[in-house]
Amino acid sequence: MRIPAVVDQLRKIAGRDAVLDRPEDLMLYEYDAGVRKCTPVAVVFPQTTAHVSEILRLASLSGFPVVARGAGTGLSGGAISPEGGVTLAFARMNRILEVDAENMRAVVQPGVVNQTLSDNVSHLGLYFAPDPSSQKACTIGGNVAENSGGPHTLMYGVTVNHVTGLTAVLPHGEVVHFGGKAAECSGYDLTGFFVGSEGTLGIVTEIMVKLLRRPERVATLLGIFETIDDGARTVAAITAAGITPAALEMLDGWTLRAVEAACHAGYPLDAGAVLLIELEGLAELVEEQAAAVREVCVQQKAREVRRAKDETERALLWKGRKNAFAALGRLAPSYYSQDGVVPRTRIPAVLHFIGGVAEKYGLCIGNIFHAGDGNLHPLILFDPRDPAQLKLVEAAGAEILERCVSMGGSITGEHGVGLEKRNLMPLLFTEEDLDVMLSLHNAFNAEGVLNPGKLFPTTRMCAETRGRTTNPVLAAEGM
Amino acid sequence: MSTTGVSIDVARQLRAICGEAHVVDDPEQLKSSWVFFSPYPTVGVWPGSAEEVAAVIKLANQDGLPIVPSAGSVPQILGHDKQPCMVMSTTRLTEVEHYDHADLTVGVGAGTTVAQLNAMVSADRLMFAGDPPAPGRCTIGGLLATAAQGPLRHGYGAVRDYCIGIRFVTGDGRRAKGGGRVVKNVAGYDLMKLLIGSYGTLAVITSASFKLFPAPGQTRTFLAEFRSAGEALRFRDSVIRSPLSPMCLELVSPGARKLMRPEMTDDAWVICIRAAGSDAVLARYRRELGSAVTRELEGEIESGMWRAIENFPLCPEEGRINEPFPPVRIQINVLPRDVFRVIESLERATWGDAIGVAFVGRVGVGHVLATAWPINSEVPWPPGVMVEELKKGVGDGASVKFEHASNPWPIQPPSLASMRAVKQALDPRNILRGREIF
Repeated sequence: MRIPAVVDQLRKIAGRDAVLDRPEDLMLYEYDAGVRKCTPVAVVFPQTTAHVSEILRLASLSGFPVVARGAGTGLSGGAISPEGGVTLAFARMNRILEVDAENMRAVVQPGVVNQTLSDNVSHLGLYFAPDPSSQKACTIGGNVAENSGGPHTLMYGVTVNHVTGLTAVLPHGEVVHFGGKAAECSGYDLTGFFVGSEGTLGIVTEIMVKLLRRPERVATLLGIFETIDDGARTVAAITAAGITPAALEMLDGWTLRAVEAACHAGYPLDAGAVLLIELEGLAELVEEQAAAVREVCVQQKAREVRRAKDETERALLWKGRKNAFAALGRLAPSYYSQDGVVPRTRIPAVLHFIGGVAEKYGLCIGNIFHAGDGNLHPLILFDPRDPAQLKLVEAAGAEILERCVSMGGSITGEHGVGLEKRNLMPLLFTEEDLDVMLSLHNAFNAEGVLNPGKLFPTTRMCAETRGRTTNPVLAAEGM
Repeated sequence: MSTTGVSIDVARQLRAICGEAHVVDDPEQLKSSWVFFSPYPTVGVWPGSAEEVAAVIKLANQDGLPIVPSAGSVPQILGHDKQPCMVMSTTRLTEVEHYDHADLTVGVGAGTTVAQLNAMVSADRLMFAGDPPAPGRCTIGGLLATAAQGPLRHGYGAVRDYCIGIRFVTGDGRRAKGGGRVVKNVAGYDLMKLLIGSYGTLAVITSASFKLFPAPGQTRTFLAEFRSAGEALRFRDSVIRSPLSPMCLELVSPGARKLMRPEMTDDAWVICIRAAGSDAVLARYRRELGSAVTRELEGEIESGMWRAIENFPLCPEEGRINEPFPPVRIQINVLPRDVFRVIESLERATWGDAIGVAFVGRVGVGHVLATAWPINSEVPWPPGVMVEELKKGVGDGASVKFEHASNPWPIQPPSLASMRAVKQALDPRNILRGREIF
């Protein structure tokens, strides 16, 4: 089907004002928070599950690919349209459908902004635990697609630990329901399997989530260290002391100076590194843990350990952490954020390695990351207008991720594989591992209508998904 | 076919893969090795590595021989079609793949028992949070396949929350993995979620990695007794709404109490709350829980009580597993609000006094573990009655799992078509158990 005909059909399905096809509008949807770009042929704003179903049926019949998009804050290119693709933007499916305070559950549409859900249930003493740094903008649908994390996932787990059920639409328009509001379901845990599948198996249109009760007390400490090594060793020492903080974040000296200049969060300008440590729970327990953490920090040569006096000071410290990526925009036109993971005891070694990579490639690399779970975010500054710089940055990023894997880690802790890291998947997975994942991909999305070109290495996608027939079982069931 | 139902050639090939000592096709030996199974399998194999698991599964695919993966500790009813069937035990897969105590992670072979794993990590004051019945027999593979859980489910989550990596062989013989050995990892599909609770219908799990937790220092258990389930659940609600976050919050039904302690004759419903922490933290628990607490346990009495609750479903099974209608274990998951309706349904399922029913539950998270056994042989076997009552009481949406039935999901899952698609992708010849499901 030609593009104008596709656009006409999309307008018939979702409404005349629910489709964009002018180049100046489409440009706004050609990128996410990563470094890749591709302009979709149209952007459609479905308002119901039925709209999504009709659009996918049309896509399957007409052969155009579809990518779902929340707020476009992703860092791995997951929401970038494939060539000739249509973007399904979920800005108009942004309602909180139900809050069940008694059972601590909510049912939301995918376009609900992460922070909005917590704001809407705060009067009940509840909140939604996954808290990506972009939580003021990112959507819960996007969080589900990427299995997003955030600072507080150290204690509470990533998105999948907080999702109990999904309504999703499969490529031929079939609407399926997985799980429910109860914590566990009959049959396979397809909810858990779909979370983090990066929009390659189905498009989620309703999400059932757990809510947590706000803790009685929160203590936020700032451990200030002369060297990055001292800070890094403290991370494992806190865990070894039997303490699991709610969050344990690290900023190196270079990054915290950039953040302080932009946010005035109260970070010391002359430190080698800081740890932002948050403890939550019963008042008595938090006070004991705060004393123990302070002692561990001092043993590991902390120059000073500060504690936020009140909610205002706490919010300021977190503002610095959560706006850190944006603060680096003052130093360079763009940055490339990595998302490798190492066992937390290997943090000192991997930070040394990253320092070496920066020197080798002549790049500025800042480190601000979820130290408690070993999830690194080296931020490589560069100018995207210079293609040679981009190549250099990607090579440096790949070298860092290779080292993470060789230390027993992973290429991504919370951002997803997307376009950006698909060709690094063989570092982690064997041919047979990928073959099994591809069989599962093809069980739902054999023709590659949904988000093609993501997650799997390019060689496998070209050879093994194009032109496949639909899974015979689903076909036999009329699905 | 030989008299055992497996061809001599297949038996020879199995011995070539696993070794003479690790293949049994003699009916008498099978009976003694698989006392928990009904009917007995026609051949049993004990592969010693993931490679051997893959080779056996490929052979089974060639011959169309169904396989029931098992660690041997959980009774299983294999179905009633009487066709040849192989039971594959993973108890020889006990290698420690990694143990990074400072990182609080461990990876072990599927045949490692929960007790062995806990013994290994407790030396470093760490804890594995899985506490299924019979931890000395229950293997990691079995725990994952059945998503079994115990009282620690309340404070530490289900095994899906702390399993960080999994290795397995699919029903068509492909060796693969999902996840890894770090606590945060979203690379590739989350195959841990897919295989946990899949009851061996998709793949044979060969090893897995987990997050560990710091072992608690001192603990205390607070007991509160009530005359009715409703009163007990109202107390549960007050605990959930309080700032307390106990390790365990367990409801013990009067029937379960009598099974565990036959000398108990009263009909009390007991809420057991286990807390860890300093003297100050425990004092806070006492203040918050108030006068509802009738007893406080510590030391060996406390740990003994929790062991009894973990092992509670074994009580009615002792010596009865080979009876024509053996006791049945049922896991029920509902919203916390619906636990009361589950209890009402289970009580109706007793058919007067013709069926014995007892249960415990992590009622703060909506999990109930019931066991049922026939008292009067004139009445139907309990599972059908129980499912009907649960459907009436809680609706089709309740998650009900039978621990050792040929079909673990007696209420058809709403996602059956998608489940079939997944099954087709990983086990296209339906070699792994599942003939009575799909």
